[in-house]
Amino acid sequence: MQQPLLEIKNLGIGFSTERGRIQPVRDVSFSIYPAQTFALVGESGCGKSVTSLSILRLIPEPPGKYLGGEILFGGRDLLKLPEHEMRSVRGKEIAMIFQEPMTSLNPVYTIGDQIAEAVTLHQHVSQDQAYRIAEDALHDVGIADPHRRLREYPHQMSGGMRQRVMIAMALSCQPKLLIADEPTTALDVTIQAQILELLRKLQRERGMSILLITHDLGVVAENADVVAVMYASRIVEVATVEDLFDRPQHPYTEGLFRSVPKLGRDTERLETIPGQVPNPARFPSGCKFHTRCPRTRALAAQSQPQDVVTIHTGEEQAKVMRVCQQDEPDLREVLPKHWAACHFAENFATAAQTVPQLEHRREVVPDMVDVSAGAAPGGSGHAGNFTVS
Amino acid sequence: MTNAAMAGSLAAMPGEAPRPEPAPSPRGLARRAVDDTLASWRTKTGLAWIAIVAFCAVFAPFLANSYPLAVKMNGNWSSPAIKHLTPVDWTLLVVAFCGVITLGLSRLTFFRKLLVLLLILAVELPLAFLFVHPPIVDVFQEYRDLQRQGRLQAVIGCPIPYSPTDRLRDHPDARLTPPSREHLFGVDMNGSDVLSAMIHACRIAMAIGFISTGIAVVIGVVIGGLMGYFVGWVDLFGMRFIEVFEAIPTLILLITFVAFFGHNLYLMMAIIGLTGWTGNARFIRAEYLRLRNQDFVQATIAAGLPLRSILFRHMLPNGVSPVIVSATFGIASAILFESTLSFLGLGLIDEPSWGQMLNQAAGVSGTFTWWMAVFPGLGIFLTVFAYNLIGEALRDALDPRLHGIE
Repeated sequence: MQQPLLEIKNLGIGFSTERGRIQPVRDVSFSIYPAQTFALVGESGCGKSVTSLSILRLIPEPPGKYLGGEILFGGRDLLKLPEHEMRSVRGKEIAMIFQEPMTSLNPVYTIGDQIAEAVTLHQHVSQDQAYRIAEDALHDVGIADPHRRLREYPHQMSGGMRQRVMIAMALSCQPKLLIADEPTTALDVTIQAQILELLRKLQRERGMSILLITHDLGVVAENADVVAVMYASRIVEVATVEDLFDRPQHPYTEGLFRSVPKLGRDTERLETIPGQVPNPARFPSGCKFHTRCPRTRALAAQSQPQDVVTIHTGEEQAKVMRVCQQDEPDLREVLPKHWAACHFAENFATAAQTVPQLEHRREVVPDMVDVSAGAAPGGSGHAGNFTVS
Repeated sequence: MTNAAMAGSLAAMPGEAPRPEPAPSPRGLARRAVDDTLASWRTKTGLAWIAIVAFCAVFAPFLANSYPLAVKMNGNWSSPAIKHLTPVDWTLLVVAFCGVITLGLSRLTFFRKLLVLLLILAVELPLAFLFVHPPIVDVFQEYRDLQRQGRLQAVIGCPIPYSPTDRLRDHPDARLTPPSREHLFGVDMNGSDVLSAMIHACRIAMAIGFISTGIAVVIGVVIGGLMGYFVGWVDLFGMRFIEVFEAIPTLILLITFVAFFGHNLYLMMAIIGLTGWTGNARFIRAEYLRLRNQDFVQATIAAGLPLRSILFRHMLPNGVSPVIVSATFGIASAILFESTLSFLGLGLIDEPSWGQMLNQAAGVSGTFTWWMAVFPGLGIFLTVFAYNLIGEALRDALDPRLHGIE
């Protein structure tokens, strides 16, 4: 069995705010294997971005604080590395691309200057070589006329182009792991598809791992090998992408799938998950999802009164299972290679409490789409100067 | 630097089809701000006056000097004016000369040009003090006597043939005479020419503004930058530190230091700089507080760049504009400080300064000599006004609301 590239064990992160201590990440464990795309899915505020930032130790301390756990990368615990060693991990071994391409580039420097600075820092090459590497990197992400683009400023580029530049910058140092924090959220739909295809292509070519943070199940379905669903600071379900889409075990995951529009089905309006994501400062007791959970309500309607409690959520009253309101379920392997944290998932009572580790990679479908074809908006016809193999 | 790298990477790709001529180089934000500033009439007016002052400062010994520029004695030409140049005169001339040449070289970035100039200054200054030894005692009468005796075949004098220290030149009772054909701006209470003194005083006006503001900007940027980036305890203590410095009354401190350590220009610059950085620190702190949460700063951290690069290469250019504007106003206020001190009689003694001349306008006998008030006063007013004009033009150029951001 292959060694995981990144292994997070029982990670906990706290923030001290004016209204007290909150914990945006609690007891999170997962592993990413080489050349694997691991998707972390969840609503805004569920802790997925904090988890990704914590891998690079980008959580500001204070107000943030690592409450425990380990982040093992290549056998080293990143949480114990001194800052100067951490700096050589950042950018070189683990790179990150951000959600908002419009603001992730420094407006006062040219694209070439920004890529070349990171390259000279991590690869110890001369300025000339760094610019050549930067030009190759721009070429690899399908930017037409990279030689000219190197000398342009971010404000001269469109959002999609900037995201390509961000990817080029992140990949210029050949990282082993790329953290993509909602890489397509700020882009329009056609560009989204191009960027995702580009990430897939680069992953195939270089064999790097990707940690994909997203709330878009379409993106997950197309890109991920393994998916972890986060809700209210914990992972509630982990499975391969096929398993998760075929047999979701957690009611929250089921709710997510129900709220995705489907073609060919005649529905008046989209279903939503009722209620709101709980405020991290006032998490409910027990299972964090019980205040919104349809499964526990359905079960409560058929159960003995001693197993049922009445809760008040906002304006309405609801009957839920007592166990959901009192005990927080841990993550258990309810099906082979399928982990869920719900008292009423299949086999939950008898399932083993193991650390989710999935080496799964989806089968690669040969993709004949040439990414660079659509990559030259305003490139004034130079796209034909090179071909992407 | 960038251009050279580009050329290198172009040369490194043989066999590739010749590329179409690249589009005209786009202007960065800083470039655009500078261009917009220079396009404003206010900047042009301000810079024109400051150029005049700078020219006077550099070429003062050739503009107003009792020694002739050139004389012919016994058939040989010689230059008493050059013979009497001090090491400071030489340094100014050399740096100004090299400055014009370096600024003309478009290959270097502005920062590199500045570095080259500082390097030249660092080499030139000790050399000048080692090798330039003007006569210790000024005998202004020497060439005048020679000329009167008819021993000079030819004399080329300065435009204003009076040194500021050349006192009582024409007759013993020449103190405080109003402007005349010989002395365009009149004569001061020591009997020396006011116009000559004003030209030589340009040096102090330029130096005190730039050096003290330079000190204030460097300290302010470093302290404010660290506060804004690290927040928390650093910010808390930094802010109290700033408040302590803001509580120091600069003028009183200056007077105290002059009382204890005597009249010293460099001490004055240092004190004005060391007490004037708090505003800059506040500006930079506020900008850094805004910038540190922006994605591109997060991206530089995520790229593993060192702290120095994050703070000063990536954040500073995005947050420096308020400091640049406040620095131009700071230069003006430093000039006013020096004038105030000199006016109070606590300024320099042996070197002419505008404030010190202003001080003589109200004489001991209670008389008011208008030419001692008007001309130096006008000099101070125009210089401060010029810096304020440039400052306002810069502020407008850097204000995104007046521009529309792309």
